[in-house]
This record gives sequence, structure tokens and C-alpha cells, in this order.
Amino acid sequence: MIRFEDVSFHYPHTQASIEGLSFHIAKGEFVALIGANGAGKSTISRLCNGLLRPSAGRVLLDGEDTSQTPTSRLARKVGFLFQNPDRQICENTVREEIAFSMKAQGWDEQAIAGRVEEILAAFDLAGDWFPFERSRGERQRIALAGALACEPQLLILDEPTTGLDYRECIRIMDYVTALNRDKGVTVLMVSHDMELVQDYARRVLVLEGGKLLGDGDVKRVMKDEALLRSARVLPAQIPALALRLGEGFEDVYTIAEMAGAIQKRRAEASR
Amino acid sequence: MNLLSVMPGDSFLHRLNPVTKLAAAFLYGIGCILCDSIAMEVVFILLMLLISASAGLLPRALALTRRLLVLGLFMFVIQLLFVRTGAPLLSLGGVTLVTTGGLRSALLLSLRVVATMLPLMLFFAVTQMNDLCNALVKRLHLPYRYAFIITTAFRFVPLFSSEFAEIQDAQRARGVDFETKNLVRKVKLVAPLCVPLLVSSLKKVNSSAISAELRGFEMRGRESGYKEYPFGKNDALALALLVLMVALCAALL
Amino acid sequence: MISIDNVTFRYQNQRGDEAALKNVSLTVEDGEFLGVIGTSGAGKTTLALAMCGVVPHEFKGDFYGAVLVDGEDTVEHAPSHFARKVGEVFQDIDSQMVASVVEDEILFGMENFGLPHEEIGARLDRVLREMGIEALRERSIASLSGGQKQKVAIAATLALEPRILVLDEPTGELDPESSREIFALLRRLCEEKGITVVIVEQKIKLLCEYAKRLIVLERGEMRFDGAPREVIAHVDTFKSLGINIPPVAELSAILREGGAYAGDVALTLPEAERMAREAMA
Repeated sequence: MIRFEDVSFHYPHTQASIEGLSFHIAKGEFVALIGANGAGKSTISRLCNGLLRPSAGRVLLDGEDTSQTPTSRLARKVGFLFQNPDRQICENTVREEIAFSMKAQGWDEQAIAGRVEEILAAFDLAGDWFPFERSRGERQRIALAGALACEPQLLILDEPTTGLDYRECIRIMDYVTALNRDKGVTVLMVSHDMELVQDYARRVLVLEGGKLLGDGDVKRVMKDEALLRSARVLPAQIPALALRLGEGFEDVYTIAEMAGAIQKRRAEASR
Repeated sequence: MNLLSVMPGDSFLHRLNPVTKLAAAFLYGIGCILCDSIAMEVVFILLMLLISASAGLLPRALALTRRLLVLGLFMFVIQLLFVRTGAPLLSLGGVTLVTTGGLRSALLLSLRVVATMLPLMLFFAVTQMNDLCNALVKRLHLPYRYAFIITTAFRFVPLFSSEFAEIQDAQRARGVDFETKNLVRKVKLVAPLCVPLLVSSLKKVNSSAISAELRGFEMRGRESGYKEYPFGKNDALALALLVLMVALCAALL
Repeated sequence: MISIDNVTFRYQNQRGDEAALKNVSLTVEDGEFLGVIGTSGAGKTTLALAMCGVVPHEFKGDFYGAVLVDGEDTVEHAPSHFARKVGEVFQDIDSQMVASVVEDEILFGMENFGLPHEEIGARLDRVLREMGIEALRERSIASLSGGQKQKVAIAATLALEPRILVLDEPTGELDPESSREIFALLRRLCEEKGITVVIVEQKIKLLCEYAKRLIVLERGEMRFDGAPREVIAHVDTFKSLGINIPPVAELSAILREGGAYAGDVALTLPEAERMAREAMA
């Protein structure tokens, strides 16, 4: 789906940049990008849809070089959810807002009308709401609905849950998961929240100072304390607890697994 | 890159008092307006480029000049077609299109626009609005409230333009193609973006005011202020030269 | 001390007629470290803004009840009256900046207060150091990341040495490690200098660790008020409200339910380890 080939990027006047980065994300994957502030996470997400162009190396989207293709064209394949929904929303009603990207990408009127109603229902949104008056969580949901209306093949989420409460966060992540599972949409998510990463992602890319420090299965990364420490990332609580408890807890990642393992050990001890 | 943002530096130009810089930019502009010679306008533009180069601002100055020349070209065409003095220069089917007087006045006006605007635009490259505000209060004894409001308005310009760029990026990411040569189409594409820009701008201005109030904006007196903005020899020199320039331009009228 | 007495507030022009705060009463003693949690739209920001009079002075609406800051009514005095006492960091980090350069942003309030020159210089150096942003001193604010801006905003407020600090999601754009550093700094200020800290946050794990008291708002009403351990113990209620709690707290609830554990709710990793070992013994 997307391939980074020895990609470097430098912002003018600042030191934040990425350096010689190579990785490949296959179709249907759910990948989280983690790292401390300034590690290069947002830069990578913007390189994927051509909002930024590499200073060196190539970013290939389905084999197409992103620096040769305008972002507006790439947008047909790549949906992007920004941290701040307010930069995305520019129409007076939710209905028009959701139709906006489809119009921009040249869908025909009839297809748009049908799709809009479908999306409104799926996201539990009212078509005649005035988007600017809704809460932050609702605005983020509207932005996501707009991004997903065009059926992107790759969905990029740049810290999608900042400023959202847990319920809204779960709601948005559940939509994304369903899309990933049922329609094979590839997801690349930037996040600080390791619990969120553990619950939803299957593969994790660990970044530090613009370099790829680790890349692997979410379970392996969650338990690699040394890796997380060198990336200045705090591990999720349950895997960290499992590590502290040592033997017998190697396969424990979730709360339920942890409770089960503890109870099992308790039963064994009392026997 | 934003053409009105500050380019930090430590040159002669940078080190002048903010008030001097403002006065100098205006005096230079006035000189160019008074000046009535095409050759002199060209000299003023070149001189300004030279001055910018001394402060490491040549790339910025050239970029600004290029944009101002577009504006100048627009004025040039209008003047060329409307000023009818002098001998006919170009006729088509018995209708005089261009006259010598028209050509001269068009050339003069368009160059004058560039020469006048250039120093004013460059002023923003070498002056932090904060410093200007403080210097206006300390040196010219302007009431703090007004100095703050005026400079804040200018401070918001690059902020809005970067916000606009972010909004444009967000729209590009959902498939809007801004790369069109058709002006009408371009306006149609950009117009809807004014809504999010306006929403965020109003929010910004409002919270900025609240934040200032909560940090004691109303308590500020003329004497409070951490940095001093003394007038130095260089300021006197710069102002003297510019007054001389304006006087010369006025005398040659 | 901030005392909030039966406050109800409804924003003007707000859709619907639901009040943002409903009959909220709360006393924040000097030197407290109070965490405010709740879903979005629960009234957290409104409560924070009411603590310095921005509600109802800058955001108009129907205001009932009274907020007293050290005995002074916020309705009778303009927010600027409380500027020396209450420092507030807003949620929207970009829009609270008044300067273009980091140093000027931090100087702004101190200059307004008319502090002596040496004092300003000393405080400037100190807050830059405390927030770990010495290197950003001369940088243009526009060139900073969201997290860096948050540090600048906190530094600018700390420089004024307010007795009461109100922060609305001050670490929203910071990574967990930097967020933790800021919480630790706030806790230190609270303990060493007796500064009152009120902090609205989504990062409940950190609040559990650093706050001495937690309140939970839900649709404008106060649901819980107490020490983090007591408040978080209502695990089921939090689940039904849709508020995330530390996974180890959820684990303790399950263990308690299963009869494997009878102690207090675990909030941190070391506590959870102790709990697990106890349960397995």
C-alpha cells in the first residue's frame, strides 16, 4: 500500500526532521506510529499523502511516487483525519460537509446523495446540524465521516483522539476498526496513548529523533521495555505489570487476561 | 515561506530602534512618491535591494520585488491605456492606443509603487511587533493600549496566513485541487475556506484578549518594560540620511 | 481559597437550554492539588473559566450562585482584578499567545505587573529552566510544535507566581513523558510553595498519581468529589459514564469482585504489582 524508500525530510529553520527512513505497510494492516514529541510522527503522516514531499528518497503509494502526484489526486486513495477538525470543516451543514470531499473528487450527484445518507446513519449524525456549534467530539466525528465518505484505501489518523473523551474516542476507533476488518482499509495511526495503540493496532513503528527504532507486532513492542524507554515512550500499564510479575505472565496483555492469570495463580497457590 | 514574517539577524538594519525603522521605511516611501524620475525610481529600488542585502534579506527582498512587479504591471497597463498626453506611439486602424506621455507615466507609476512598497514590506522582516509596541510606548509615549492593538493586528497577519495554509492543506488532503490556472475557479475553491479561517480567527482574537487581560494588560504603565529601546548614533545617522533623501526629492520636483 | 457556591451557568446563544454548570458547589483550599475530570461537554472548561471570572464576564450567559476568590466575588470584579492571584492556562494554546517570540511571551505579564528589572530577568531564567525550554528562548512561537507551545504558555503563567493556578488540559499535545514532567513540577510547586493547582485533564492516569483530590463532572453536575483512590473506586459508574480509568484500577475492581483481593484500588504500577502479589499469595 505505502512504501518509504530511504526517505529524509527537513523542515526549513527547525531541527525536526526525519532521516533515511524505510518501511513498507501492506494493504489491510493497522499500524500505529509511536514516539515522543518531535520524533517525526506527524511528518511521516504528511509525507504519505503528499502534503510534504521528501527531501531525499521516495514515498510510493501503490507504486505511485507521491512527489509526482498532487495531494488532491492522492486524496482519492488516502483519507486523512487531522488532530484539529476545525481546519477541515467548512460547510454550513453536516450533510454538505460530508458531500464536500466527494464533490471535490468528482463523484456524480446521485452517488453522493446516497452515500451521504448512508454515512450520516452509520456515524449517528444529523444532516442539518450546523457543524461549528457542535462539541469537539462531534466535530471530530463529522471530520472522520467526511474523510471516510470517499472510501479511502488508506486512512491516516494524526492523533485522532486528542481532546476527545474516552467514550468519543472508543466510538471513533470502533468505526475505524470495523472498516479495517470488513473492508480491508489500511490504517496508519499516530498516537501517544499506548493503551489505545495496544487495543487497536496490530503493528507498531517506534520512532525517535526521526529514525525508525523498532518495527514489529504490537505485542512484542509492548513488552520491549528497553525499546520503549529509548524512544521515551511510557508502556501500557497491563503489559508493564505483566513484565514486573515475570514468569507465567508472558502472554498477558489485557485486563481480562491479567485478572485470569492472577486468579489462576491464586488457585494454584491455595491448592 | 511567509513574506511578512520576521527574519532574525544582527545587521545594522536589525539593530536600529524599531521606531527608527518604521520612520525610515515611511520616509523612504515618501521620497519615492515625491520623486518624478523613472531613472531615480529604478535607483531607489536597486538601493533598497542593496540595503536588504546588507541585512541578509536579499532573497526576501527579491521575492517581494517580484510580487510587487506583478502589481506594478497591472498599474502599468491601466496607465498606459488611459493617459493620453504626448505624441502617439502606437495606433491601430486610426485609433491611438499608446502615447509617449502614457508610456512615461505608466512606467513611472508602476516603478513608484514598487519602490514605495518595498521598504514598508521589508520593515516587517526586521522588526518584531512586540519590540515596535514597546518602543512606541517608551520612546514616543503612545498609550500602551493603542500601541498594543495596532501591533497585535499586524502580528496576526502572518498567523492568519499560516492558519490559512494549514486549512488549505486540510482541504487538499480531502481532494480539493487548488492548482488551477482559472481565476474564477480558484476563487470558487478558496472562498469556502474563509469560513473556517473566520471561525478560528475570531476565536483567536477573543482568547488572545482574555489571555492578555488575565496577565495584567490593564496594569501596564509607560515605565514598565524589561527591554530598553534607546536611540543611538546609528538611528540619528539613518534618519538624517533619509530626511536628506526626502528633501532632495522634494527639491527636484 | 476559591469557594464556589451553588453555581449554575447557561451560555448565551447555546444550542438547547441545558446549563453548562448545574448547582455546583465546591471549596478549593489553599495548597490543594485538584484534578477535574469528566466527558466532553461536562462543564470542566466552564468551571475553570468561572474560577477567574472569565465566566460570566467574557462569555455571557445566565449566572446564578457565587464564586469567591479569597472572599472576593468574581461577578463584582473584572477578571483583571484577579490577575495577580489566579493564573490560567487555556485549552486552546495557539490563541492565548500575545507575542511572536517565546521570550516576549513570558515577559508580557511580568512587564504588565511592573516588576523590577532584575526580578523579571531572574524569573524569566527560572521558568525557562523549569519548563526545560531554555533553547527556545529566542524562537518564534509560530515555529514551535504544539507541545512546545504548551510549555511556553505554562511558563508565561508560572512567571507571574500566582497563588492559584488553573490549567485547562495543559498537556493535551504533549507526549506522556513531558506530561509527567509537568505534573511533577506542578506537584512540587504545590508542596513547596503552597500554590493551589486546579487542573482539567483527560489523562486520568497522571491525575491519579499527582492530584490530592479529584472531582468528576457529568453534564454540568458534580458526581464525585474526594481523594483519587476513593473516587476511582466507583469503577462501574466510570464505565457507564464513559470515562476512562487506569487499567490497573479496573483490574483491582475485577480482583475484588472475584474475592481475590480486598485492599484499596490500585492506581499506579507499583501498587498494582503489590496488589497482584498479595492476590496470588
